[in-house]
Amino acid sequence: MKKLNFNLLILLLTTSIILFSSCESNDPEDENEGELITDVTLIFTEVDPTGGTVGTPFEVKASDPDGIELGSNPTIETINLGIGKTYRLELELFNRIENEDITEEIEEEADEHQFFFLGSAFVGSPVLTYVYDDADEDGNPIGLRGFVTVASTPTSNNAQFRLVLRHDLNKSYSGANNPNFENFVQAGGETDLDITFPLILN
Amino acid sequence: MRVTLFTFLLILFVKPILAQEDCNLTIRGKVIHAENNEPIESAFILILENESGAVTDYNGLFRVSNICPGTYTIKIQYLGHQDYIEKLEIKSNSNFTFRMAAEDISLEGVDIHGHQDALITTNSVSSIYGEVLRSTRGQTLGESLKKIPGVNTYSSGSTIQKPVIHGLHSNRVLILNNGVRLEGQQWGSDHAPEIDPFIANEISVVKGAETVRFGADAMGGVILVNPAPLPVKAIQKGEIDLIGYSNGLGLNAAASFTGGSEKIKGLGYRIQGSSKIAGNVQTPGYMLDNTGVNEINFSGALGYSNSRLGTELYVSNFRTTIGILSDSHTGNLSDLESIIENGRPFREAVFKYEIQNPKQEVDHQLVKAKIHYHLNDGSKLNFQYSFQRNHRQEFDRRRGELNERASLDMVLFTNSLDLSYNHQTRKNWDGAVGAQVMQQANSNIPGTGVIPLIPNFDMINLGIYAIEKFTNGPLELEGGLRFDSRHVEAARIIRGDLQERNFKFNNFSAFFGGVYALTRNLTFNSNLASAWRPPNINEQFSQGLHHGLAAIEIGNPDFESEQSFKWLNTINYNSNNLKIELTAYANRINNYIYLNPTEEQFISLRGTFNVFEYLQTDANLIGTDLSAIWNVSSNWEVFSRGSIVRAKNIIENSFLPFIPADRLESGISYQIASGSSKNNTKLSISNLLVAKQSREPEFDLAPAPPGYQLWNLGAQTSVNLGKNKLNIGLYANNVFNEVYKDYMNRFRYFTHELGRNVLIKLNYEF
Repeated sequence: MKKLNFNLLILLLTTSIILFSSCESNDPEDENEGELITDVTLIFTEVDPTGGTVGTPFEVKASDPDGIELGSNPTIETINLGIGKTYRLELELFNRIENEDITEEIEEEADEHQFFFLGSAFVGSPVLTYVYDDADEDGNPIGLRGFVTVASTPTSNNAQFRLVLRHDLNKSYSGANNPNFENFVQAGGETDLDITFPLILN
Repeated sequence: MRVTLFTFLLILFVKPILAQEDCNLTIRGKVIHAENNEPIESAFILILENESGAVTDYNGLFRVSNICPGTYTIKIQYLGHQDYIEKLEIKSNSNFTFRMAAEDISLEGVDIHGHQDALITTNSVSSIYGEVLRSTRGQTLGESLKKIPGVNTYSSGSTIQKPVIHGLHSNRVLILNNGVRLEGQQWGSDHAPEIDPFIANEISVVKGAETVRFGADAMGGVILVNPAPLPVKAIQKGEIDLIGYSNGLGLNAAASFTGGSEKIKGLGYRIQGSSKIAGNVQTPGYMLDNTGVNEINFSGALGYSNSRLGTELYVSNFRTTIGILSDSHTGNLSDLESIIENGRPFREAVFKYEIQNPKQEVDHQLVKAKIHYHLNDGSKLNFQYSFQRNHRQEFDRRRGELNERASLDMVLFTNSLDLSYNHQTRKNWDGAVGAQVMQQANSNIPGTGVIPLIPNFDMINLGIYAIEKFTNGPLELEGGLRFDSRHVEAARIIRGDLQERNFKFNNFSAFFGGVYALTRNLTFNSNLASAWRPPNINEQFSQGLHHGLAAIEIGNPDFESEQSFKWLNTINYNSNNLKIELTAYANRINNYIYLNPTEEQFISLRGTFNVFEYLQTDANLIGTDLSAIWNVSSNWEVFSRGSIVRAKNIIENSFLPFIPADRLESGISYQIASGSSKNNTKLSISNLLVAKQSREPEFDLAPAPPGYQLWNLGAQTSVNLGKNKLNIGLYANNVFNEVYKDYMNRFRYFTHELGRNVLIKLNYEF
């Protein structure tokens, strides 16, 4: 009996040693960070009152090659707009790390995303007004396309142009169809982008 | 049986010995189970020569006075145990320890003491079992343990609760799941222990540091979740639990079946399973979105015992899906500030069972093989091998197909081998020497689309220890020493950049403690122990956004191990109608690792984040716990339990965050005992007072919430149905639907605690 038990012990010990040696971690792999937004481009095109294009479009960029990882701060360019003029504003989002066009993804999930236009440029004594020019399948605005009009007699020549992208919000929340809805958090959801561009009017 | 009765009569009618000049010697002693060193209550001690005797008390202690010097034959009897007979020469007052061996299991009709290992420690152990445990069924492990003073919870919403012992939690406390160190991703504040409380027939808490016995991390204390021992004779019994509750419309079902083989004596088995489903829970004012939970667990055990050999094979599987409050995941600091200012979630929720992102899916498997063998000299060899696999997936709300993919996906394998040798000398000395090898492998499963929070790593830990205990009547002294060596190799890739680090930690730990039984009812425990904890992998490697907290966390790979010294003192008074346990402790932790807010903020295209860094400091935790139960009469019982803990960062001279506030729970119960039918009906009312945590750290996202008080009601009864028994319980928690927030909940910044909850618990024993 004693011998049997001893043999059993040896067997178990051997088994454990085999099990031990077979348990190793995998080699780490690089992750494809498909979710990041590293580049935001605002494309302004001046339009006349009938909606016809005037002049050539120009781009204003905000970029952060590291995404939300620690590293350098983002580079944010200044927006220069003409007093009294109206512009078509188109937004393009891009993930430079993975070379992915995020604009398309937002269009595909338009009912879960919305841009808000805030900061001193739009709120308080606004120098800009924004009108959405797109809608999701439920008829709610998105903000990838719209029109910005500069006041003809602005109270100030410079202001803050704050761009916020929310996802997973309740787009039918009362007040959420206002592009300058300051209490956008009340509609729920999460912030994907929150960028403040300096604005100069001339 | 006849012998026992005879002995009893003999003791009752023993004539007082005539007091003589030199016949004033006293024999004191202690009677314990040879199997597991637990004290034996109600053993009979006979001194054959002069027909005097005694019966052991609750602590196994006895005393025979007025003995003349001489040689005596002492005989000790206890049901189911072999009679113990020894000739002793008594010249002076003497003190002995007697060990009683269980009778052979072939004896019919005798209750065999199975081969269950009791934890032998001079630290005081608090347990919940039986009726009290039954009344906590259906709650999380953390919530159940609040019945023990000094134990609290640290939670992330209503579904994730981690036990806190004397102000410490996560990797600073150790959980033993049926004798195996639970190895999950315990470092995370939102990672609940992967344990099915239904497996337990007893849950115990050792509040002292027990690193020597169990290895690293057992700094604040140890939680032992123990199933009942497997049967060694042919019996069959089972239990079915059905629990329903109103808040979250939850349903718990559990069943277990235990049997012993008739053909092979000593062969026993158990199969057990439990499940849980609950939907969104409700605070008094609103519903919390996405707070449902699903759980399904099962376990099986097979054991064989004879008088020398004990073997056990145990397998368990735990699987849970936990919904995380939708609004708790915030995109950036301004989101977080808005919801904190709001004080409650923005999203209006409706009741549903469906769980969406964010959610956690965790499964945990455990396999354990255990053998012990009793050698001729009363010593014992133990062998235990265990294997654990922990798979954790955390899902966030993400764009497109990423929403279907976990943003954190990790598998942790743990192999553990424990060998020990327990020896016992004839009377006073017993102890153990042992070695433990633990090996771990953590792998991130690729494809999450997120840079892993912690790297892949391999760890191996070797520990050797020796513990020795000296018992002399009412006094027990115990000391132990341990050495651990741990080697960790970690690697990860961040955007093509391979980062590798190796770590080595060598640590000694030691303890010394004692128990002294001052009188039959009063015992005093004191234990001084050192413990260590290596830095968690997240404390070393965090380098980015902690999702949901709008915080960038920065670890430090150069951290040293934490070292703690805990001094625990307990006075226990235990009489027929009054039980008091008073504990006081001081815990000094050097190199205490904590998350410190820097003044900096990090700006990204997604907004602004607070930056936190992990730092090491020295910390002091002191506190006291009190528990008292007074049986006023056979019907009325009054109880009270409270705890106080003070925790300071000594270097910064500030308070540590998330330390439980002072609390006191008091109650009264009335038992209607109708003797004939034996169904005990008990009604109880209790009140919980929790103070405001006025000792706050310098930085917090919001001030500590005010104190609160809750009223709870309970009614339970049992009905005998032939040989079977039905236990019925009806409980109402937070009867007055009090609106409150608890400091120990990470979600207190933006949610209230649960409103009224009515529970019905049915337990059927057959």
